[in-house]
Amino acid sequence: MTFAERMLSIDRRIIFLVIGLCTLIPLLYPVGLAIKVSPEVRSVYDYIESLPEDSVFLLSLDFDPASKPELYPQAVSLLRHAFKKNLRVIGMTLWLPGTGMANEVISRVAREEGKESGKDYVFLGWSPGGSSVIINMGQDLYKAFPTDYNNQPTSELPVLKGVQNLRDVSYVISLAAGTTGIETWYVFGKDKYKFELGGGCTGVIAPGLYPLLRSGQINGLIGGLRGAAEYEVLIGRKGKAVAGMDAQSATHFAIILLVILCNVFYLLIRTSTRAAEQR
Amino acid sequence: MTFLRRQLPLLITLVSGLLFAAQYYVPHPSSELMLTSVTKWLQIIGGFALILGVTSLFHIHAVKIRRKEPGWGYSFILYAGMVGTIVIGLRDGGKETIDGAATAFGWIYTFMMVPLQGTMFAILAFFIASAAYRSFRARSREAAVLLIAAVIVMMGRVPLGEYLIPASGDVTQWILNVLNASVRRAILIGISLGAVALSLKIIFGVERAYLGGGKE
Repeated sequence: MTFAERMLSIDRRIIFLVIGLCTLIPLLYPVGLAIKVSPEVRSVYDYIESLPEDSVFLLSLDFDPASKPELYPQAVSLLRHAFKKNLRVIGMTLWLPGTGMANEVISRVAREEGKESGKDYVFLGWSPGGSSVIINMGQDLYKAFPTDYNNQPTSELPVLKGVQNLRDVSYVISLAAGTTGIETWYVFGKDKYKFELGGGCTGVIAPGLYPLLRSGQINGLIGGLRGAAEYEVLIGRKGKAVAGMDAQSATHFAIILLVILCNVFYLLIRTSTRAAEQR
Repeated sequence: MTFLRRQLPLLITLVSGLLFAAQYYVPHPSSELMLTSVTKWLQIIGGFALILGVTSLFHIHAVKIRRKEPGWGYSFILYAGMVGTIVIGLRDGGKETIDGAATAFGWIYTFMMVPLQGTMFAILAFFIASAAYRSFRARSREAAVLLIAAVIVMMGRVPLGEYLIPASGDVTQWILNVLNASVRRAILIGISLGAVALSLKIIFGVERAYLGGGKE
């Protein structure tokens, strides 16, 4: 077996170790490289900035704990921004396993920003049906969610004063890890009830949402941990996403290096095989 | 029986399909009221679908445990986990916290489900790296193009890439906004046309697979 062949069949645990170290070391010793803000993230930020005080902002946390590392920091930044702008925040989720986490992030950020449940924000929780929930909210929010997550009648909450359905919501952002998510909110929500829609998603599904972004079906897109880090930079409160960018830089470069090495060894083997065949 | 098993479902599908396709274009209050009622039905049916799914899962794993099929131990753990979580969840009213204090259900959610799901997803990074090393090879021109595009996008999406090669960020944006978006759009249009065609076939009773098999 040649050196190249040996390298191509390297024990995968060595690769796991390299990736593990590339994640761990930058987290322990951060470098803090500058993060450039992309236009799609800035669009979301600018739209929230442009909203007048007391506007209704709906954040749908459509993800489960598996996507927490990427989408949780996005939720924290968006909530901080919305609370700083004194918007009325409605939180909800279309993903059942994410309910507890969604409640936790909204309650925690609201507490940090000195906001009160029922008065400044409400967490509606989860309701079965996915797209049907969106249509139902578009028709009548109080029929879709008669009570909030804390069993308070939604019709009596000051935060929802003047809000009858999705037409009364100024801005909706779906933080999605798949379907049901941003596309569902567009097809069953924005298209009919005419509210502005933005999105946040995991890195892996972001490329699939660019057609919606380019056509204006969503006005902005926060993609993955990078998007979350950009938003943290924009609101001036660096958090877990910015801290994770060094680790992501290192792992990306480790994978690039591994791919290059794999191709070098592959070409070496191919060249030597062809040479042997010619002889 | 044929009427109940075949003709009635087909009739309901035809009437509902045409009615709600037309409803989208009719903003009259009675049309909107009909939509509100039907979506509420859908939400209720969605709830029942959840019960159906859980029941089916219970049944499948109960059979595995009873027959002691290979891997029945995992089924037992799943069974115990599900039953335990349901019992504790019902006791705590499905709440993770009550008056700020974590419930037992909240403890299970925060310290078992959240880290377990996070771990499962995080493991992907290791497998992706290993798989990329073993299989991401420039065997053809097309594969080489894919490889180069992937390397550029991976560089352009992290600060270190933009620091080393400042143009990588802009090139990545171009790849995502132009090449990726146009191809994705073409795929989406194809899928949507297929969905429209399939919907029409179902509404008009050409496609009947959803009715299931069984005797006429």
